[in-house]
Amino acid sequence: MAAIRQSGRSSRLNKKMAIWALFTLMVIIAVVMLYPFWYIIDNAFRSAGQFDRQAGHSLSGWKELFANLPVTGQLLNSTLVCAASIAIILIVSTTAGFAFAKLRYRGSGMVFLLVVSALMVPLQSIIFPEIVNLGNVHLTSSYAGAVLVYAALGTPFATFLMATYYRGISDELIEAAVIDGLGYERTFAQIAIPLSLPAIATVTVLQFIQIWDDLLVALFFLPTNQRTITAGLATLATGRTTSIPPLMAGSLISAIPAIVVYLIFQRHLVKGLTLGMGK
Amino acid sequence: MAQIELESVTKEFPDGTTAVSSLDLAVGDGELLVLVGPSGCGKTTALRMVAGLEDVSSGTISIDGRPVNDVEPRHRDIAMVFQSYALYPHLSVYDNMAFSLKYRRVAKAEIRQRVAEAARILELEPYLQRKPRQLSGGQRQRVAMGRAIVRQPRAFLMDEPLSNLDAKLRVQMRAEIAQLQRSLGTTTIYVTHDQTEAMTLGTRVAVISGGVLQQVAAPQELYRRPANLFVAGFIGSPPMNLIDATLERGSAAGDDAGPVVVFGPHRLAIPAEVIAAHPAFERYLGQAIVLGIRPEHLHDAALAPAGISGSAIRLPVRLREELGSEVQVHGAIGTAAHVSDDAADDVRSLATIVARMDPRTKIAEGETAKIAVDTAELQFFDPASGDSILA
Repeated sequence: MAAIRQSGRSSRLNKKMAIWALFTLMVIIAVVMLYPFWYIIDNAFRSAGQFDRQAGHSLSGWKELFANLPVTGQLLNSTLVCAASIAIILIVSTTAGFAFAKLRYRGSGMVFLLVVSALMVPLQSIIFPEIVNLGNVHLTSSYAGAVLVYAALGTPFATFLMATYYRGISDELIEAAVIDGLGYERTFAQIAIPLSLPAIATVTVLQFIQIWDDLLVALFFLPTNQRTITAGLATLATGRTTSIPPLMAGSLISAIPAIVVYLIFQRHLVKGLTLGMGK
Repeated sequence: MAQIELESVTKEFPDGTTAVSSLDLAVGDGELLVLVGPSGCGKTTALRMVAGLEDVSSGTISIDGRPVNDVEPRHRDIAMVFQSYALYPHLSVYDNMAFSLKYRRVAKAEIRQRVAEAARILELEPYLQRKPRQLSGGQRQRVAMGRAIVRQPRAFLMDEPLSNLDAKLRVQMRAEIAQLQRSLGTTTIYVTHDQTEAMTLGTRVAVISGGVLQQVAAPQELYRRPANLFVAGFIGSPPMNLIDATLERGSAAGDDAGPVVVFGPHRLAIPAEVIAAHPAFERYLGQAIVLGIRPEHLHDAALAPAGISGSAIRLPVRLREELGSEVQVHGAIGTAAHVSDDAADDVRSLATIVARMDPRTKIAEGETAKIAVDTAELQFFDPASGDSILA
């Protein structure tokens, strides 16, 4: 009996130590992840001199930022490009995902494979062909060009996610709606869409963060007066000397919308990302 | 209400599988026809073809005389109750039931009235504002029924609607469905793999195996006069005892004056009236047949009803099972049991037969019991075709 008690006590001790070790590891990871945010916040509120000395705080970095960059206009550009791209991605991915998951037609598996294989293509490898193609239809240097490229890049993953989600919805539910008189189009609108809101939220958040933060497409496809905030901030760092505090202030402004969107949808995001991982 | 007819309906899937083969079936106005058979026999596919959820490869499905092969499901005016209930999870019970009516542009007041009436019949009134996830299995099943009822369709199609319920609730819901169907008088096709459900619910029962219709008849007819070995083995629990035997001419005197059926060391005289009613018997004299005996037609000789005590066999008892209302006795027959293709026939492959006896029986394991056989109820099958000789 004593031996059993002893073994029980040591097992409890091991479990406690494991929890503490895990907690310590998590704290270290959190510090590593959060330090850049702290660095941005801390240095956004300094002047160039205060930054060099790493002492004192002021709003001069903000004044410099707004003096050199049309922040409000660029935030609006970012919002416009994000909203239009995500709208296209959602329309295409929900309809295509539903068709792949619930409609039976010849070659659907092959087409799905083709769409998903586009996930493997890196942006950098297609950026120049895209410039040429969009140039041919006079869509470079415009919102439309950038929006089309973002939509084309985001749609394969979004379609994959939506198709996976719709496959999890019982076929009988769709058939019940068809028998109830809806037809496939209205079944999609009235049943599939309301049921797939978590997946739609996931696609929205992931694509928002990706498009909002993107630099490459924005620099290549948008003219100076239509630049997004991320592309605008990059121009602050292109001089011979870079003033860090306004850059940090701009980064802070730029990060806030993405953080807000993430916080709003985080519950759905986790649900959407764990799709297919069990009942 | 409607009449539904299937004429030579066949369903072949693209991979070459024939799920339903040349099915002929007519469901009368207001009738409850049950399609029963083992898993994968094609019964659900047949139902889905009637619903319009599966295309028909060949043959014709008609509703009220009008072919509907190319009519979309929503225009067939049928309602379906699914195995999983298929309730819309984001809608309340009320909205689930009202759903189809809204899309058929039924007036709001009438929708309210129809849903209220269905909710009253199904005792769902307290739950109308709840979501399906807040309901028990039985309540969800009722909502699925309610959704079908409010439509006032020409026919109900039910695909194993009770199979997700526990045994007790299933019995209760079975009775409720039967009462409801009778009071509404709506033509219904009901699919199940549970033969008890089929027998208790159906006006007629269609037994399907391997995509082929085996027999369609009223439950009692199906039980008492199975058309073939499959039906004989499938309908009834415990299943009919099927034994390889031969039909022989009896000796000149005594009980053996007429034909006798012989299996192992056992001989059973066949009553003259059975032979007289079935002239085909003569052709099988001297030949192998498959003998079928329902478990309830084997009695403890000491307790047997008058009139059947004369035909008895002696069996070593292998197992005695107490079930309260009856005792099931497993006895060794001393010869090979008939082995069919049906994998569920494990008991018969042990060369034992099962008898359902009066609970007062004193027969014990290990003893050799005298078993009285009700020979008027024996069944005989052609071993080659599997068809009943009595049909």
